[in-house]
Amino acid sequence: MLDSIILSSITFVYFGAFVLYLLMMVMARDYFGRLASIVTGVTFIGHTLAIVLRWIRSHQMGIGHAPMSNLYESLIFFAWAVILLYLIVENRTKNRTLGPFITPLAFLAIAYASFSPDISEGIQPLIPALKSNWLIAHVITCFFGYAAFGLSFGLSIMYLLKRLDSPERGNKFLAIIPGKGIVDELNYQMVIIGFLMLTLGIITGSVWAHSAWGTYWSWDPKETWSLITWLIYASVIHSRQVRGWKGKRIALLCLAGFLCVLFTYFGVNYLAGLHSYAKS
Amino acid sequence: MIPLIMTNAKIEKKHNIIWRLFSSVRLTIVLLILLAVASIIGTLIPQASQRESAEFAMGLSPVWFRIFSFLDLFDMYHSLWFRFLIGCLSANLIICSLNRFPGTWSLFRAPVRPDREKPFKDLLPGQHFFAKGDISHVSDKVGQFLKSHYRKTLAKADKDRYFFYAEKGGYSRFGVYVVHTSVLLILIGALAGSFFGFEAFVNIIEGDQIDTVSLRKRDEELKLGFAVRCDSFTVDFYDNGMPKEYRSELTFIADEKEAEKKTLMVNHPVQFRGITFYQASYGTIPGKKVHLKIIKNDAKNHAITLETETGAEVKLPGNEGTFSVTGVKANFMDTGPAVQIAVRPIEGDEVNFWVFKGYEAIQKKLPGPMLMSPKFNPSAFKPYTFILEGMETGYYTGLQVNRDPGVPIVWTGFFLIIAGFIITFFTSHKRIWVRLLPDKKGISVSIAGAASRNQVGLERELIHLTKGLNAHVEG
Ligand code: HEM
Repeated sequence: MLDSIILSSITFVYFGAFVLYLLMMVMARDYFGRLASIVTGVTFIGHTLAIVLRWIRSHQMGIGHAPMSNLYESLIFFAWAVILLYLIVENRTKNRTLGPFITPLAFLAIAYASFSPDISEGIQPLIPALKSNWLIAHVITCFFGYAAFGLSFGLSIMYLLKRLDSPERGNKFLAIIPGKGIVDELNYQMVIIGFLMLTLGIITGSVWAHSAWGTYWSWDPKETWSLITWLIYASVIHSRQVRGWKGKRIALLCLAGFLCVLFTYFGVNYLAGLHSYAKS
Repeated sequence: MIPLIMTNAKIEKKHNIIWRLFSSVRLTIVLLILLAVASIIGTLIPQASQRESAEFAMGLSPVWFRIFSFLDLFDMYHSLWFRFLIGCLSANLIICSLNRFPGTWSLFRAPVRPDREKPFKDLLPGQHFFAKGDISHVSDKVGQFLKSHYRKTLAKADKDRYFFYAEKGGYSRFGVYVVHTSVLLILIGALAGSFFGFEAFVNIIEGDQIDTVSLRKRDEELKLGFAVRCDSFTVDFYDNGMPKEYRSELTFIADEKEAEKKTLMVNHPVQFRGITFYQASYGTIPGKKVHLKIIKNDAKNHAITLETETGAEVKLPGNEGTFSVTGVKANFMDTGPAVQIAVRPIEGDEVNFWVFKGYEAIQKKLPGPMLMSPKFNPSAFKPYTFILEGMETGYYTGLQVNRDPGVPIVWTGFFLIIAGFIITFFTSHKRIWVRLLPDKKGISVSIAGAASRNQVGLERELIHLTKGLNAHVEG
């Protein structure tokens, strides 16, 4: 299967891009940065192609559906959304220093999807409950939300590192990171995009649940954790917008927020294992 | 409204501790985080709706069990204290909005002087140019340009100096109120649903009709006021055996007449008279017809097969007596179909035993002692062995039956929260001041501005605007 082969190999290319971004920062050579951008951009095209191929393949199997229906496909889509959003930000800010913080998210997600023995790569047909356009809207919005929060996570780490910077220190890596104010502002913009997408994700998810089961909210652990994430980012927005918090406190809250995102995504399955949770 | 009373009320509010507490955003943040922490606890402790709940509760020591029960931790999201937190959040939201709305309103309506000096401090080079020609002509052009780009414009002339003011996006300041009102709407919708709605379920056997359903929350039946008949239920499977589609053909019968026929599928609920039906589950039930094979274990090993119905009395082939099928199970102890046979010999007591369809499978599944029991021995009545060849099965469809008058309110809230969010964070209230001064080098045109958010965007827009204005004045 060409799509699976492409996907498992782009893990390594994204890793290569990460190394190039890192070299740019450590050696303070713009040359590596330009190369890293090209590698990331080309890999992203391959990534997109693989997703399209997989979609076509599902149609050839007679069970056509958008490739976002299981853990494998969602991880691939998450990585895709992260890189897309990153490339947009890189292009708009004309700055590559976020690269080494973001590319790991993509290659780790794809590596986990491709190489974990627990994750099946097969294309499965959809059970009746999953056949819904609301579900597609739900997955797309949620994962763009998670991607934006992923960028916010990278920016928060960048911010906290930049705080260590000083002229006496003379660390090239830290010196190359843009000023704290800029990082903080960009971080907040990512939080707003992420929050909008997460809100849309929760809404489309509720509408879907309502058409499938008759209730738009049933406090199941996954739903509840997405609400927890929503509450954390809502407090980020309020503490900044109204109380004027900036910088370190916002960065720390964003780290907590992204941990909630990860828990909503993976941890809930672990909870389920713990309680062998099953919806009756 | 009479202003005097408003001011009095305002002074009173300032002194009221409760009002002050509920008008602080600090409380909002504390409440949001408290709700998050409470929800985390709720996902760690199995809730009453989950299967593991009883098991978990049993594992606790009596003291902890008492503490957990006292705090309602087994059904946290419906507990009084959780609702109290949500109530506080709502009060916080309402009082905050009431407190700040007058301020926002006056910012929106405030008369603006076109001839202000302050905005023109710290002008960037890109926000200024020199125009040639007659100043009143240039002023006309500027006015024209602003009118075509902004909704609201003001102009003022002071001797040979001209001032303009323009703004757009004033509504942006109200986005927050839309968002917060939607949060309240969603909560109100949920409340309305729990007060005036119900959640119930019902199973309908193919061909049957029902007019009552069982409520989920209380152990009660509810009369629908009409009847629902399931004409047929079908399941489609994929090649690999996974279910592809569940489909119930339903007929709604009201006032003794067939009112409507509808097809119900997962993700495609149907509505009748304000009540919504969802395809929730299905199951098989045994029908009446049973295919049996009876072997007479004698020298000839004679075998006959016959079809019978439950309850019907059948003669044994050798006339030793009669038997009947007294019970049918579509899935007996998870092993598949089984029937209970009662043999009434001419002499002696009735013999009862179960006959399974897949006897080999049963031998692996059931424990030895159970198999030894005559109750599970298909040869319990000598010299015959009964074999179950097949059984007619039917389906029943499992429906979730809901009424939730809160849903339209919640949906409205969903729509408005997104609209409000976009207004708040993706639009801004922009104000522009333009000043024309006669100068030795021509007419000095300066453009300044202020925005409620996104200063970087404003700077870009000002520079763009200056270029546009310059071109318009020259042209
Ligand atoms: C989509 C979600 C939300 C967004 C985007 C949002 C946004 C905002 C913004 C921008 C402000 C600042 C208003 C100003 O400076 O005038 C604000 C204030 C506030 N928010 Fe929210 N909010 C949201 C949800 C909530 C929720 C769920 C609550 C909880 C009850 C809440 C409670 C408050 C309060 C109490 C204030 C301060 C009072 C006020 O400015 O009116 N917000 N919110």
